[in-house]
Amino acid sequence: MKAVWATFTRELRAYFFAPLAYVVLFFFLVINGFIFSLIITYLSDPRSPAGGPPLTLFFGGTLFFWLILLFVAPVLTMRLIAEELRSGSVEVLMTAPVTEGQVVAGKYLAALTFYATLWAPTLAYAGVLAYNAKVDWGPVAAGYVGILGVGALFLAVGVFASAVTRSQLVAAIITFALLIFLFSFGLLENLANGDLAKQAFGYLNLWEHMDEFAKGIVESRRLVYYVTASLFFLFLASRALEDKKWR
Amino acid sequence: MIEAQNLTRRYGDFTAVQGVSFSVGEGEIVGMLGPNGAGKTTTIRMITGFLPPTGGRVTIDGKDLFALPHAARRQLGYLPENVALYPEMRVEEYLAYRARLEGLARGEVRGAIGEAVERCLLAEVRQQIIGTLSKGYRQRVGLATAILHRPRVLVLDEPTVGLDPNQIIAIRELIRELGRERTLLLSTHILPEVELLCRRVVIIDGGRIVAEGTPESLRASSVGNPALHLVLKGAPAGVAETLAGVPGVAAVHPATDQAADGNAAWLIEHTAGTDPREEVFRAAVARGWVLLEMTRQRTSLEDVFVRLTTHERAGHDPAAESEETVQ
Repeated sequence: MKAVWATFTRELRAYFFAPLAYVVLFFFLVINGFIFSLIITYLSDPRSPAGGPPLTLFFGGTLFFWLILLFVAPVLTMRLIAEELRSGSVEVLMTAPVTEGQVVAGKYLAALTFYATLWAPTLAYAGVLAYNAKVDWGPVAAGYVGILGVGALFLAVGVFASAVTRSQLVAAIITFALLIFLFSFGLLENLANGDLAKQAFGYLNLWEHMDEFAKGIVESRRLVYYVTASLFFLFLASRALEDKKWR
Repeated sequence: MIEAQNLTRRYGDFTAVQGVSFSVGEGEIVGMLGPNGAGKTTTIRMITGFLPPTGGRVTIDGKDLFALPHAARRQLGYLPENVALYPEMRVEEYLAYRARLEGLARGEVRGAIGEAVERCLLAEVRQQIIGTLSKGYRQRVGLATAILHRPRVLVLDEPTVGLDPNQIIAIRELIRELGRERTLLLSTHILPEVELLCRRVVIIDGGRIVAEGTPESLRASSVGNPALHLVLKGAPAGVAETLAGVPGVAAVHPATDQAADGNAAWLIEHTAGTDPREEVFRAAVARGWVLLEMTRQRTSLEDVFVRLTTHERAGHDPAAESEETVQ
């Protein structure tokens, strides 16, 4: 536990000491703010059809949400292990009394925490809405649960990709490719004919998941999917690190 | 304290290390020598638990490195050949991180950092960002990391590589200091370093141990004859023939450091246990040669090293070889 904590705090500091964090944070907020204002403008136009609550649309209702996530996850995770492999610092790291699993866990939790920090300022949007209108807080909370769940999965994929190469760029590309696959896999639901296939793809349909979360539906099997899939990728990451470190 | 048994490491078809066994006793400083690519770093990486061996086992302080990795690694401080640190951290932050990674209790961290900083002379850069440090300081930070958790065994892989002469002296001083109370395994290809620091030497070549012993015993067992170095004024003729006739002299050949000022330098090998200096002097006087210099050549560890690590592979004749080595 001590080793996980030591790794976690080091990685979190590393995020905030690098310009990357601020660049990501800056654009993340600019783009999200822009989208949010677009949604508000659209919904407050009397000519537009009656829509749901603005935050429901904001959380996963637009393609922007997914584009941002597909971009942010690789950027946040590419450095984590690949850089240790490239610089050689993995050698003193893995000869300390720590396991691969502890290192992976610490790094992953740091990425997840930074990811949560990215989203934290968007709480202000809910605040703005609450000031001007009545906000149903249940769906907002559920939306954040969904954001955390999808983020957990995406970042776990990123940590895995970072452990299979010593190049940050390659790690980012692998993550991006895997995420596109993972994301569009669920969309195949619309192309599937058989009932079983439809159901199977539907189970993996992230867009639909987020839709439900944003409407306030928190289904335990969705959460089980995120948690198990994340653990699976983290397990792969620790095996990859074990295998990759000395090559 | 360190026990390596029959360590073997293969990379595909290539065998980097083959059946290496040795031990380092409590409080001993052992040097591991070998040319580049001999398998030193591979061996070291197996001893520190970074690289799993294809065969064999390692125990540190009686604990098997692969059965009880945590207990064994806690006793181990390691300075790798390539000291990679996190450039964005400050020295003190980095040491604090390492202390926690090593599992030191909260109360011990401050004291451990203070001690490591003091011993490795890092006080003036304590708050500096690692990325801005010179190579020498980085090496010292690496060393501080290795001794931070007060391990009983230290493994240092080429600790002075890439440093300037002053830094080398400082680091050696520190290593000697550290070796007083710890078991130390030092890998290097710098021979004077070994003679200076180590009581015992293991020579590795082609992935095998080719010799092991104290520097003295290695010198004594070295295959070469003792030799005299002679400088004669001018370049008199017939030197080789005359001196070959002196009792005890085994061979005479021109020295490689042929004097540029027109004087002739010769190397006279004689059989062990004989001392032909007087006879050589008399022979020179009898022929009317002016003897400018006569010195005994001490077989250096360097000769032993070169002999052990080159002749098997190249198989060239020993005479030519000793000429290149005895300088």
